[in-house]
Amino acid sequence: METIWWIALAIVGIIVLIVLICIYYINRIRVLSNRIDNAWAQIDVQLKKRADLVPNLVETVRGYMKHEQKAIDMVTKARERMLSAGDKKEKIAAGAGLAAALKTIFALAENYPNLKASDNFRMLQEELDGIESKVAYARQFYNDSVLSYNNLITTIPGRWFAGGRAQHPYFEIAEAERAPVKVSF
Amino acid sequence: MQKISFLDQIAKNKRNSIFLTIFVVAFVAAIVYLIIRLLFPGLALIFLALALAIMISHAYISYNYGDRIILKAVHAKPADPVQHAYLINTVEGLSIAAGVPTPKVYVMEDDEINAFTCGKDPKHASITVTTGALKNLNRTELEGVVGHEMSHIANYDVRFMTLVAVLVGLIAILSYMLLRSYRFVREEEREKGIGLLIVVGFLLAIFAPIASRLVQAMISRRREYLADAGGAQLTRYPEGLASALEKIKNINQGKMKVSESISHLFISDPAHTALDDIFATHPPLTKRIEILRAM
Repeated sequence: METIWWIALAIVGIIVLIVLICIYYINRIRVLSNRIDNAWAQIDVQLKKRADLVPNLVETVRGYMKHEQKAIDMVTKARERMLSAGDKKEKIAAGAGLAAALKTIFALAENYPNLKASDNFRMLQEELDGIESKVAYARQFYNDSVLSYNNLITTIPGRWFAGGRAQHPYFEIAEAERAPVKVSF
Repeated sequence: MQKISFLDQIAKNKRNSIFLTIFVVAFVAAIVYLIIRLLFPGLALIFLALALAIMISHAYISYNYGDRIILKAVHAKPADPVQHAYLINTVEGLSIAAGVPTPKVYVMEDDEINAFTCGKDPKHASITVTTGALKNLNRTELEGVVGHEMSHIANYDVRFMTLVAVLVGLIAILSYMLLRSYRFVREEEREKGIGLLIVVGFLLAIFAPIASRLVQAMISRRREYLADAGGAQLTRYPEGLASALEKIKNINQGKMKVSESISHLFISDPAHTALDDIFATHPPLTKRIEILRAM
């Protein structure tokens, strides 16, 4: 009689353990997936901040760089594309486009000492440099989060609980951002 | 693997903070009890209760306002959004990289290159940088230093180190008081079997400051290596911090005017004292640079 009770107890114990393990993994997948969303939100905030600085920059630059209308138009257009971008992929591409256009403006600014000396321009440059590195750090955190998530759902036992969830794509640096800026004088 | 050891560190720091607080509260209450036993033997128990009550509120205040006490003590001022835009941007960037809320940023007036962090948790943390650091470090070096501090914040070192700073300072003061109180004991009472108490009191008074300094040294050296590695992991550029430490080694005189009890908070020892030769709170800079360069 006694042994039956022990066996029953063991079975109940094993069931409880399995349930706890299931809960752990299901929650873990949820937590890591939320972290990716949060990491993306960080990137999004920075991309939006950068776009918001553009009108201010254009206003500051216009008075000095009279002959660079093309570069200025490029930035304005890149900003519009950024603001109208819908999903992650479009936003990443538009963000890279805007970054490249801004780099051109700052490279051209080297030819305008008065512009470079203006406080407003210097502030904007610092602000945009700061955003640039924040985007890079946010991307790093995003990719780290994606890595933990992908590791969890592709390795055993995590993959048993993933229910066929797809791996998250990494945030790759766009070609446009990697290429050096071309400036024609 | 990296993530798991990080979580371990957080758990360990939270646990150590609780142990430290209980230990200091009990220790100080015991010292107060001894003092009262010597002076007014009849009132000892009442005073013990009183001392415990005061110590528990002291611990509560240390936990919640320790960072403000420290920031006030070193005259740190909030960073100016225009003048220190560069520093604020760096801190914001690295807090994003570490995935913690952005800490408050302070600047303290001092020619030496140094920085520290304090607060009870990542939500209530602050980073303070000296004006010397802002003047002498370039962007990657400043990022290295801020990355080191951010790693202290992310792994809850900041809670334990802040508590050590505020609680350990108190032990030194009380031990000193105990040593002085011996003089007020009446002649006839010295002979009435309290000799033993006096001996214990003396031993405590002499060894408590040394022991607290030893604790400070032990807890902080290993932490500095870990924070160096953690910071390098955030910036993905160990050379930035290595080069900042090199500048610290060459430029700093070790003459910052800050209290001993907070020296373990800083990225590099703010003031060189005689005790450092025995119980240095920081590992040697050359060793730290060497490790970073080997990463």
